[in-house]
Amino acid sequence: MTLSRLLSRVGFVSRVGSRSAFTSSKTDTRSPNWLRVGLAFGSSAFLWGLLFKQHSTDVHEYKVRNGLQ
Amino acid sequence: MGSAADDKKSLPPPGILNRNSVWLAGIGWASAMIHNAINHRPPVKSGVHRQFLLTTIGWFLGYHLTKHENYTYAKLDRDMNEYVKLHPEKFQPKEKKTFAEIVEPFHPVR
Repeated sequence: MTLSRLLSRVGFVSRVGSRSAFTSSKTDTRSPNWLRVGLAFGSSAFLWGLLFKQHSTDVHEYKVRNGLQ
Repeated sequence: MGSAADDKKSLPPPGILNRNSVWLAGIGWASAMIHNAINHRPPVKSGVHRQFLLTTIGWFLGYHLTKHENYTYAKLDRDMNEYVKLHPEKFQPKEKKTFAEIVEPFHPVR
């Protein structure tokens, strides 16, 4: 079974658990919330940048300490 | 010995691709997909920004977890080796005997 199929079955189990008590209308799934999408991708890009910067700092620090550079 | 921060920096840093990163990124991705599934959305095709963000967070945490793990194990190894050096009497190499010396002579009964 494909991963998609397997995961879709999860929806059947918790039909009760995820209904919001605050709205009576279905969420609009057609138009994306572009602000949220932008923020998500933006923070992902930020985290990746932070990771690569931290890694290069660590590598440089290690080389300096062991006299390789 | 130096401070802890000093010691941490003298270890070789882990690569960007490391076991903890991959595993935690996988957990992030799976949690995004399960979140989709619970809300009756197509699990893999929807919310790609969510999947990507959670995967990224997992990868980031994994990198720092690997650094912490390396430091912990290096510290344990160093302490163990120092103990062995300080107490050589407890770690004498044992005299090795060959099997020929231990085993009784063989008399076949045919």
